[in-house]
Formats: sequence, structure tokens, C-alpha cells
Amino acid sequence: MTLGALGVVGLGVYLALLVVIAVAARLARRDASAGDHFLASRELGVFVLFLTLYATAYSGNSLLGYPGEAYRRGFSWVMSVGFMMSIMVCFHLLAPKLRPVAIARGFVTPGDWVRHRFGSERGEGPLRLGVAVLMMIALANFLFAQLKAMGVLTAQVTGGLIPYEAGVIVLAAMILFYETIGGMRAVAWTDAAQGILMVVGLGALLAWLLGDAGGLAALTRDVATIRPEAVRVPDVTERMNWASTVVLLGVASVVYPQAIQRIYAARSGVALRRAFALMTFMPITTTLVVLLIGLAAIPRFESLGVVEADRVMPLLLGAWAEAGSLELFAAAVVFFGALAAIMSTADSVLLSLGSIAAEDFARRHRTDSDAALGKRIAAGVMVAMAILALLARDVTLWGLIELKMELLIQCAPAFLLALHWRRLRADAAFAGLAVGCVVAVAGVVLGAKRLGGVHIGVIGLVVNLGIAWLGSLGRPAPRDS
Amino acid sequence: MTARLRRRLRAALLAAIVVLYGVSVPWYRTGGADTGTLWGLPSWVAIAIACYGAVAVLNALAWWLTEIPDAPEGEE
Repeated sequence: MTLGALGVVGLGVYLALLVVIAVAARLARRDASAGDHFLASRELGVFVLFLTLYATAYSGNSLLGYPGEAYRRGFSWVMSVGFMMSIMVCFHLLAPKLRPVAIARGFVTPGDWVRHRFGSERGEGPLRLGVAVLMMIALANFLFAQLKAMGVLTAQVTGGLIPYEAGVIVLAAMILFYETIGGMRAVAWTDAAQGILMVVGLGALLAWLLGDAGGLAALTRDVATIRPEAVRVPDVTERMNWASTVVLLGVASVVYPQAIQRIYAARSGVALRRAFALMTFMPITTTLVVLLIGLAAIPRFESLGVVEADRVMPLLLGAWAEAGSLELFAAAVVFFGALAAIMSTADSVLLSLGSIAAEDFARRHRTDSDAALGKRIAAGVMVAMAILALLARDVTLWGLIELKMELLIQCAPAFLLALHWRRLRADAAFAGLAVGCVVAVAGVVLGAKRLGGVHIGVIGLVVNLGIAWLGSLGRPAPRDS
Repeated sequence: MTARLRRRLRAALLAAIVVLYGVSVPWYRTGGADTGTLWGLPSWVAIAIACYGAVAVLNALAWWLTEIPDAPEGEE
């Protein structure tokens, strides 16, 4: 049996399983409220919470984008282990203070925090809208990246029997189906299964690659022979970029709407901190493994183009499948693990997108009994991103991540500063957010995405924080904060 | 363990994590230099991974010491 035939059969089985999970989640729902649909009635325990956090954090970006970037940059991409871990460090600034308020007030979206924290203060409306717009842009970008990755992987796993375009359309439709039917419960359950599949699959692939290369030292020697600069100490600009990326990803990722919503959805504070304690080890078991997989591609595929490098993972899996029957089966498992991880991220993104669209944009006063509006808006965005994924293929996944984070990080003061500094005022926070965005966008438009290696979004955040701080100084704290 | 001691220990762990992040970036090496290998990796990479391994352990401990109440202070 060829990988293509096995891939088509496996894909059919996998999609059928997703339908079963969606229907089971639908039957398990308690009511038709937004809280049940978007947050699974706040009943996620440690194990499911951990796996859903894991499968959501490690996405198409991690599985296709990060090996591609390791291939392009070489060993300095070890920074990816650091920045993925910094996310779990930065959550210390957010979760312990946000969670109790969120539970007491019944928050559903990140915008609920802004509404609660700033009350009827001048500037609260624009700030909440600004945060919602930035989060929607980030989520749409994230969704686009996942769709692109799904198309690439489907074409590879089926040996081209299902082309990129069909892969994007079929899988986008499937995600839309089970997210709409099963909500957060279906997303969390599928995330749990997908997370397990991913860890096992990546470990097996790395073992094969290292065995084939003759061990880690031999791999390092091979990389040094083919591309000496990939093993050398990075220059000052690259080191500054390393530190900047740790800050950018660490701070911006904690204000990801789907991450914030998992803080709301946890069964208890104890479950949440235990899930976070487990999550802190996952960059070692996943990002480090993915880094080594990307590096192992350097001696195997010597001259991939910049965009083509995002395909190193599928190319390696294809090579693995040709090594024998057992390897063929193992490669198929990893393919589906990766595909599952990408789909699990896409469904979480879609769910968050729907909730923000319905709760923060379309409805000023929450009086709903169901989440139908959010589902409709999310479906519209999904279709738009699927079309974009079909048209715009010449963009790297890492490029998309950086772009998204440069904007999303500007939301951080409205959460992190607002949680820790009572005197922060809404109008000052909004002014900071607006100027921070202008700095980030101007940098991207003018082609100055980094200054001395530092991301323009990080520079924008410093300006943002400065304005928010200066604008709040000397003014009394709002009485209801 | 008292709540105060937990808070202090947690703060110390988070401070240590920040220091480890500083050390993980090879500021102490000359850019473009070839270094020896450690555990089969370029030594500056092995040191970065060791730092991140230590961060993982310290951060897990810090989360273990973190209190996340299910209601705001003063509310049941």
C-alpha cells in the first residue's frame, strides 16, 4: 500500500471519528447558552484542560512553520524553545488575577474583562472595540495559517490524490461542522485526542531521523559541513532578535483570546495551575523535537526556497514512509497527528472568533439564549480565510506569526497593566494601544519590521506602555476598579 | 507552608527564571565564532537548552506555589 492510498483511507476514518465526537458533544451539552457553547459550562478538568491548551498552543505554525524556520536559520532557532516556554511564564501575570474576577462575573470573552475593569469610564468603548478588532485580526490571521498548513499536509499525506485546494475546503467544512455542533466541548475532546497523537508521532519521527543520521553529534557535523553558518554563534542582531522574540511571543500569546477563554473554562483554579505546571514542560517535548527535525532536514534537502522550507516536515515524513512497511504506517500516524494538531488549533480559533464577534461586536447587551450569531459570523470568516488560503500561498508561516503578534501584543496593557495597576485609565490605555498599533503597522508598511533585531511590535509596546502610564499618572483611580 | 512564604518562594523562582532567560542568549560569545560541541550540539545551543530545561522545572514549581482563587478576595 502506498502512503497516498493509506492517507486517503486514514483521512476518511479520521473525519468520521470527528463527526462522532461532535455528535457526542452535542448530546452532552447542558443548555443552549453562550457559556455552554463557548466555555463548555466551565467544567474542564486538569487532564482535558492540559491537552486542549497543548493542542491549541502547538499548531500548524509549530509543526510546519517552526521546522521550516529551523531549516532557514539553523541552530539559533533554539530560541523557539525559549519563547514557547516564556508563554507559560508570562501567564503568571494574567491567570491568578483574572480567573477569580472572570468566574465571579461570568466572563465569556476577553472584552468582558475590559468592560468590567473600566466600567463607564471615558474611553472604555473605544478600548474594548480596539481590543476586539486586534483580536479578530490576529485570529483571522491564525486561521489563515492553519488552513494553509492543512492544505499542504493533506496534499502530502494523500500523495496528491487530494490536492491542496480540496484539502483546504474539505477540512475547513469539517471544522465548521463539529465546532458548530459541539462547541467548546467537542473542541476540547478532539484536542485531547489530537494532543496525544502529536506527542507520540513527533517522538517517533525524531528517533528515526537521529538513528538514520547516526546520532545528534553526527547530525551537527553534517549541518556544519553543508551550512557552516547554521552552527556558528549568532551575531548581535540575531541575539537581539532572540531576546525580542521571547518577549514578543511570551507577552502576546497570553492575550490570545482562546488562551484567555481557557482560563475562564477551567473547572477550578487548582485545575488551571496544575494544567499550567504540566504545560511548562511541553516546549521540551515538542518545540525542541520540532527544532531537531527541522535541522535534520538541512543535510537531506540542501536547497529549498524560503517559502518551500515550510514543507520540510511533510517532505521528511514522505522520506520516512519510503523506508519500509512499519515506517509507512508510522509516517501516516504522524501525518494525522500533525493534521489533527492543526485542525485542533483552527477549531479553537474559530470558536474564539465566533464568541468575540457575537459578544463584543454584534451585541451591545448580552440577552441571548444561544450562540447562533457567533456561529454565523465565524462561518463567514472561515469561508473568507479559506478563499485567501487558496489564493495567497507565497507567504511563510513564521512571517504570518510575527505579523499577528506585532499587533496582538498591543492589547497587553489593557490586560496585564490593568490587572496590576489600579490607576490605569481607559482613555490612556486606548491612546497607548492606538499609537502602538500605528508604530507596528508603519514599521511593517515601511519595511522596517525590526530595528537592530528588535521587533517593531515590541518597540510599539514600549511606546504603548509609556503613553498608558503617563496618561494615567496624577489622576485618581476609578472608584469601581 | 504559610501563604507569605509561598509568595516569597514563588517570587524568587520567577526572578531566577528571568536570570536564566538572560543567560540562555549567548551574549558571552563572539558572533560568528565556531564553538566546540556539548552533548552533540554546539555548546552555546546546549547551554541554551539547559537554561530552558531549568526554566521548565522552576516554572512548574512556581505554578505549584501559585494560588488561583475561584472568587475575588473578600467574596465567597
